[in-house]
Amino acid sequence: MRRKISYLLALAVSITAIGTGSADAATKLNPQMQALVDSYQKEAGVKAFSADEGKKLFMSKRMHSVKKEERSCTTCHTTNPAQTGKTVVGKPIDPISPAVTKDRFTDPKKVEKWFKRNCEWVLERECTPKEKGDYITFMTSL
Amino acid sequence: MVLRKTIIPFLAAGLMLTGLVAGTGFADEDHRERGERHSRYMPKVAENATYKQECSSCHFLYLPGLLPARSWEAVMNNSDKHFGENLGLDENTKKEITSFLKNNSAERTDTEWSNKIMRSVGSATPERITEVPWIKKEHRRIKPEVFQRPSIGSFSNCGACHTQGAQGNFEEDAVSIPKK
Ligand code: HEC
Ligand code: HEC
Ligand code: HEC
Repeated sequence: MRRKISYLLALAVSITAIGTGSADAATKLNPQMQALVDSYQKEAGVKAFSADEGKKLFMSKRMHSVKKEERSCTTCHTTNPAQTGKTVVGKPIDPISPAVTKDRFTDPKKVEKWFKRNCEWVLERECTPKEKGDYITFMTSL
Repeated sequence: MVLRKTIIPFLAAGLMLTGLVAGTGFADEDHRERGERHSRYMPKVAENATYKQECSSCHFLYLPGLLPARSWEAVMNNSDKHFGENLGLDENTKKEITSFLKNNSAERTDTEWSNKIMRSVGSATPERITEVPWIKKEHRRIKPEVFQRPSIGSFSNCGACHTQGAQGNFEEDAVSIPKK
């Protein structure tokens, strides 16, 4: 019960935090990363990516079919991208927001590797190019 | 209720073990050893950049000397089903890490704890350091709920308590269990 409440509080606080993040703080991708995002866009066949959709992906929860537990990107990255996260083994994760951790979304190989791992862990499948593009767009808009 | 049921046998076993150990004077011997024997520090921790890059983002960078070579081989062979994670390593990376771990495994590391691990494991092939009987024995007094404290998270998170564990120092004076 107590856990549920503090979770809700954390959620509320972080939604506020995300909501007030100003657009002019946006992070510009380096050429290699821009090329990766462009390739996602080509594959997805969309005109533009959506930060709102990316935020939805980040915040959404899903019941794992085998583990029978709710999982989300926020399980490890917390509901506030600017905050330090934690792996399931307990090791701290530097904030996922590129506005806070400067080398986030700078290395296409690293980004692809973690998308693959984390999407499988949460969604039991890889993320689509559309989802990946939306996610990066959300993160770089913070 | 369920929790209580599972804790009671644990407590009982813990008490029995403590009794046994105190009874046979093991505990004292352990302490005497500590003063007399040469340092248990690993003189030089084997390092490898690829191992660090691929194996330290989710947890403590386990020292290769904590498991026998055959265990590391098993861990690496199963890296696509790594405790619920698909590590997705390419063949070259996998090869490099496997040979680094095997070349610096417990049988090749002459520290007191590596030797104890080798003796304790016998002919088994544990894929977890936390399943090595001697390691389990050394931590038997730590209650399961202590491992669940937010800043610890799991028994596998060695670095949370062994502040110099990454340097191969698991000595008592370098242990600090976080309160929260
Ligand atoms: C089980 C824990 C866990 C979950 C759940 C998780 N991540 Fe991660 N994520 C990590 C870790 C650990 C890293 C690597 C951090 C580091 O290198 O500092 C990471 C890094 C990343 C990166 C690389 C960023 C960079 O450039 O440094 C991306 C992208 C990412 N995660 C996306 C996601 C998405 C999308 C989800 C939800 C579908 C998600 N993560 C859920 C643990 C997790
Ligand atoms: C994507 C996250 C992730 C990465 C990367 C990763 N591991 Fe793990 N590892 C885990 C998880 C999760 C566990 C299980 C921990 C638990 O049960 O608390 C684990 C456990 C272990 C254990 C057993 C720990 C124990 O309890 O004694 C070993 C050994 C290990 N990993 C070795 C490796 C090696 C070697 C690599 C690099 C090839 C690696 N890990 C990379 C997630 C990861
Ligand atoms: C919750 C804190 C905690 C965690 C997590 C933890 N340990 Fe320990 N460890 C201890 C304590 C406390 C002792 C007992 C210290 C003493 O009295 O010597 C100990 C003892 C040891 C010893 C024996 C030292 C000696 O020579 O007497 C070794 C080796 C060791 N731990 C390794 C590990 C490894 C490897 C991990 C991760 C797989 C780990 N520990 C995780 C707290 C912890």
